[in-house]
Amino acid sequence: MNPTESCGRSIEDLSDYLETGISTDFVHIENCPQCQARLAGLRSLGALAQDLLHDDIATASEAGWLDSVVANLRLETRAGRSIPLDGGALDTLTETEGAVIAMIRAVGDSLGGVLIGRCRLAGDVTVAGAPVEVNIDVSTQYGYRLPTVAQELRSAVLAELLVHSDLNVVAVNVAFTGVRAPLDGAVDEGEPQ
Amino acid sequence: MKEFQERQDVLTQAPDALLAERAADGDVAAFETLTRRYGPLMRAYARRLTRSVDEADDVVQDALITAWTDMSKLREGTAVKAWLMRIVANRAVDAGRRRKSHGNVDDHPEAPDNMPTPEQLAVAGSQGAALNRALRGLPAEQRRCWVLKEFGGASYEEIGQTLGISAASVRGRLARARTTLVKEMEEWR
Repeated sequence: MNPTESCGRSIEDLSDYLETGISTDFVHIENCPQCQARLAGLRSLGALAQDLLHDDIATASEAGWLDSVVANLRLETRAGRSIPLDGGALDTLTETEGAVIAMIRAVGDSLGGVLIGRCRLAGDVTVAGAPVEVNIDVSTQYGYRLPTVAQELRSAVLAELLVHSDLNVVAVNVAFTGVRAPLDGAVDEGEPQ
Repeated sequence: MKEFQERQDVLTQAPDALLAERAADGDVAAFETLTRRYGPLMRAYARRLTRSVDEADDVVQDALITAWTDMSKLREGTAVKAWLMRIVANRAVDAGRRRKSHGNVDDHPEAPDNMPTPEQLAVAGSQGAALNRALRGLPAEQRRCWVLKEFGGASYEEIGQTLGISAASVRGRLARARTTLVKEMEEWR
């Protein structure tokens, strides 16, 4: 038999076998030196490809680039409704709903053990003085007393909105949607019970 | 400032699914965390699928804006990484098509010398450099299939959809690419 003659198995079939570990032809493949040599070649190519990807990622990870991407995103992100601010009779000042919600999230996330999920302003925020309710979904870390967390969150959100908006907040509704296991190594400033 | 830092830490440790859910609800900070987590991978991927580093950066920026807008359409938050990679792939291929249809400047849209240079990709190690060279020598259609498979982890069907060809053609192109690459790697060794 001519040793250079192909055993007839295609690279397609061998690649699929390498990926899935399944082939109706596996008895041949496992016993054919030619197939084994080609499989070895495909395997080292695959490993080399992963090395190349890692090198590429390292090169692509410039901090300056990420910062500029994030800055551009901020310009594009949804702003929501316009909320009037009292700027006196001659001025029309507004802030966006997106900015207010971001503020509420920041307040919540800085409290120990709390992670804000969905957050909505209910009411006609575009009309100055209209009553507005703030609805917040919260997941907490295991070990926190929920009524205490809710009360802390309510006061912190109200205080923040009082300073940074002219919204007439009539209620801050907190709904607990989940309890998470403690994060590894995360330090909490709240008081686990 | 300290509070801000702590907040970033909480998000940095949060799983993909939670970040995706919050981003879908309009949380910019959660989306930024996902961007920082997967941006470099998306950029590396785009650089292999486009013909210049600038085009790759445009593709990534576009892909992220699309992702932000469409975030609420993502059903499985755990699949956000694969989803982002799919958007990058589609954007990169679109960019290539646009260049072809508007591109009177250049009759060779896939000319290999316009591929990112090894210096730009700073490939470490000589075997990596050899693979990089071999990739640059592949026909564009084969190289794309290979990158979509090896870097993007896409299936034949997904690659076919992205490129507008059948899964069977993907399988064939991929095999031809691998045959050439294995041969060149062996010659190099």
